[in-house]
Amino acid sequence: MSGPVLVLGGGPAGLAAAHALAAVGQRAVLVEKEDRLGGAPILSGYAKLVPSGEWAKDAIGAMVERVEEDDRVALRTAVQVREFSGEPGAFRATLSDGTDLEVSAAILATGFTHFDAVNKPEWGFGTYPDVVTTTQVEQMLSTGAGVRCPSDGREPERVAILLCVGSRDRQIGREWCSKVCCTVSANLAMEIRETLPRCHVYIYYMDIRTYGLYEDLYYWRSQEEFKVKYIKARIAEVTSDGQRLIVKGEDTLVKRPITIPFDLVVHAIGMDPNVDNLTLASIFGVKLESHGHIARGNAYRAYSATSRPGVFVGGAATGPETIDDSIAQGQAAALAALAAVQGAVRQAS
Amino acid sequence: MDEKSDHGQHFTGHGAEWRDGELGPDQARAATAWVEAKIDRRAMLVNKERVEDVRDIMWQLEKDGEILVHRVSEQHEPVTVKTLYGWDKRIPTNQLWHHKSCGQCGNIPGYPASILWLQNMLETRYLDETDQTSCTAWNYHGSGIGNVVSLASVFLRNFHQAYVSAQAQGLPEGYYYPLVHCGTSFGNYKEMRSFLLHSPALREQVKTILGKLGRLVDGKLLLPEEVVHYSEWLHVVRERIKQHQAVDCGAIRATIHPACHVYKMVPEDAIYDDAVLDGNRLAVSTSLVETLGAQVIDYSTWYDCCGFGFRHIISEREFTRSFAIDRKVRVAIEEAQADVMIGHDTGCITTLDKNQWIGKAAGKGYELPVMADCQFAALICGAHPYKIVQLHWHASPFETLLEKLGIDWRRTKAEFEAYLTEVEAGRVETLYDPKLAITSGPGFAG
Amino acid sequence: MAQVSAAIGDPISDAPILEQAKLEAVFADIQAHPLYDHELNGCLNCGICTATCPSAHYYDYSPREIVQLLWTENLEGIYDAMQEKIWACAQCYTCAARCPFGNSPGGLVMIMRETAIKHGMESAKEVLRPFSRVMLKIISTGNQLAPNMITADHFPDWGPNVSKVEAPLAVLRKAIPVPTLHTLDTAWEVNLKTSIELYTIWEATGVLDALETIDQNLFDVITDIMEEKREDYDDWLEEQEDDDD
Repeated sequence: MSGPVLVLGGGPAGLAAAHALAAVGQRAVLVEKEDRLGGAPILSGYAKLVPSGEWAKDAIGAMVERVEEDDRVALRTAVQVREFSGEPGAFRATLSDGTDLEVSAAILATGFTHFDAVNKPEWGFGTYPDVVTTTQVEQMLSTGAGVRCPSDGREPERVAILLCVGSRDRQIGREWCSKVCCTVSANLAMEIRETLPRCHVYIYYMDIRTYGLYEDLYYWRSQEEFKVKYIKARIAEVTSDGQRLIVKGEDTLVKRPITIPFDLVVHAIGMDPNVDNLTLASIFGVKLESHGHIARGNAYRAYSATSRPGVFVGGAATGPETIDDSIAQGQAAALAALAAVQGAVRQAS
Repeated sequence: MDEKSDHGQHFTGHGAEWRDGELGPDQARAATAWVEAKIDRRAMLVNKERVEDVRDIMWQLEKDGEILVHRVSEQHEPVTVKTLYGWDKRIPTNQLWHHKSCGQCGNIPGYPASILWLQNMLETRYLDETDQTSCTAWNYHGSGIGNVVSLASVFLRNFHQAYVSAQAQGLPEGYYYPLVHCGTSFGNYKEMRSFLLHSPALREQVKTILGKLGRLVDGKLLLPEEVVHYSEWLHVVRERIKQHQAVDCGAIRATIHPACHVYKMVPEDAIYDDAVLDGNRLAVSTSLVETLGAQVIDYSTWYDCCGFGFRHIISEREFTRSFAIDRKVRVAIEEAQADVMIGHDTGCITTLDKNQWIGKAAGKGYELPVMADCQFAALICGAHPYKIVQLHWHASPFETLLEKLGIDWRRTKAEFEAYLTEVEAGRVETLYDPKLAITSGPGFAG
Repeated sequence: MAQVSAAIGDPISDAPILEQAKLEAVFADIQAHPLYDHELNGCLNCGICTATCPSAHYYDYSPREIVQLLWTENLEGIYDAMQEKIWACAQCYTCAARCPFGNSPGGLVMIMRETAIKHGMESAKEVLRPFSRVMLKIISTGNQLAPNMITADHFPDWGPNVSKVEAPLAVLRKAIPVPTLHTLDTAWEVNLKTSIELYTIWEATGVLDALETIDQNLFDVITDIMEEKREDYDDWLEEQEDDDD
């Protein structure tokens, strides 16, 4: 009889992996460092999700409930893995509360860290209270407070959403595209327009990457139905004249610099590698890829593999990922782990 | 107005599918805290491996025996500061070799005079000598005459002289560490250092030239551990300067003009300090002015350049003056109600100061005193506005600032005019012994 | 634009167009510059450089356009930009500090300016004519600027008085408490040996050749001055040897 599979991280990927294992009769232990499950969508208070339009609390909440109610999944929250040793089929994980777990395989579903917009100080976050992040706007919507200027609580009349904050930017060592921000921003822009019909929303972009089916559902719809304005320009600086925010960009039609006043500027923050990745890599003995995410095996033969046999990975731990794809990758990792565990059992018998 | 009173009330504008998230106040705060907790992580998030630090190449080349590094050592009493990415930079505070600025010396002489006066006040050992040239980068950026090899050779020639200069006083090599007065020199030298460290071909070309000049050390190129701007020195000694404060400047509304070549060129080397503007903007000058107690006021064109243009200031000043007035002086006056604009570079001070006069002819009569951070600090520490700070070379109305500071400019101007008759009679007062200025060649006393 | 149509050719006239070989030679020199690959990595066409460009406020100049011309190897557009646009750049390098791809449009402009000079383009000659006083000064003394260059005649727009205290310039300079600044012809007193060393650098790095291409008269004046200085220095060296004997 093989030991349970360790699933590290209680976000969409981890929840999907734990559920998939349990569904085929394999026991799992889900370890989460925070005191609750749900990952970024719950911990960061996301509003309505792409593409379902369901509230994060409901959609991800249902995934949490399903796992919580399953007696084949043991839950260990508010603990972290401190040590990890052994071989496929017989690993030992030591937790921060001093207890040990005997596990047959491990799935790293450790996710990402939101880009800290203070690392682009010229865009004003941390200097001006009315410069906020997409995460904060999600929270304004999900808590029911509504989108307001933090400085004085007024309803903004002009909102600028700046794409690629912490993405596609060699100046700060973040060359990757964070994949979700274009669609998320189009979605947020529609929500702002829906809740504040008199508010003008502008999205400043380099390229719009509402890929696949999101092109018409988000990019086109936000324009046709919600009159969201898209302007091709990367903003240079966000300052203030003491009254409103001043955004400096290029009018690409006439190749001229322009400054435009706004009430609220929203940074569409990208997805950084999890800040714990260096620690995780050392504890689990897995390699990181060049951007700092957990390196994944060959896509055609070992999609969910890491550099260490018996340790698998899925979701945003491998790079910027959508919630839907994180769930799919969590299931893929579960299948890979299951195959490894059964392989170990076959060898033993 | 009525719309604003809705704030905090139950919000109903979501449409039919909206449901209350039902997060309690604590939950909502926890959600926000998650975002705010990230704010102190600049150093951790921008980890060094992802952005190259050329000093690593420098140490490796020294280890390989190819170059020699002029170190900031304990004798220079360094203070460690953090740069944009949280890296350490050591700023020397003693035994300094003044690398002067041609624009300052030719045009704003109170700029270097104030630096030396402050260093006398702090009992700093220094050398100001004649064996140095401009960095030649103003000319290069203005005209295109010059190239990477000439700029790199001029850089290492001047820095080699700084290294050996103390020999004229019977002191060891490396005793004095270069302190660069000009922002363009500072930026240009850092660029050249980077190009030299990256290119073996450039090192070879420059080495041949410096060899011809006798400017190698043990047959090797000498590079400085750090290229240090005087504003960085002011930043690290600001508390010591404050101890000598003689004039209260608490009522002064100051705007800062940061110099492009100081913080946009080789930006990873610029100083950011969590205690200054939350570490979100360049620390130098702001830190000094705040420490002295003046109010630093923000304005919307803080990031804009001054309009100097290198070429434009000489031959196309229509651009320079339009930019300086429209995008800097006017904005600082209208938005910040500024009493003064303080900068830390040659070209910016010249541009922002000199172009106000002609503005009146164009119906743009904006008047704002403009000076360098060191000049402001010297005034606050009681330096003579004319004899030391040499404000009479400034075209902007510095008199209004002096009045707000309670400094009698009419009296001090009369004192200076009286001093000029002494000067004509050959009785000249200087900040150091003039004999020290010549370290070799014609006129060297040995 | 008149220069350009003269150089490149008017599409509806019979005037000969500029030779393709010339355009290619100019671009080849730009590409061969040791910093070209350092300053240009590609282009996302995001416009952040133009957004933050001071010159773009007042001139028909866009750093994004410069980068696009080079990246797409638009040879005629490059040649066109070298007639006028590249001289609009204020060299603040804000574009380089902001570019997400790590390009330096300001650095590319410098490469194009160097190339315009190397090819002795009329545009470069014209633009640099008012610069000759400065170049004479920097090349022969090592100082870009001298106190006696700043006069109300040369800078009428800076006001009627260079100093708010009226006195002869020499007296005002002596009243600066920094001994090395008691000068009129240079910003600070430059050691003779130092200016000879600098001249050696100019000679060895091809800077004098560039100067000769762009301004033969200035080149002649400078070489005369420097020959004299070298003789003075050699005389001094000989004196030293005599003293030693």
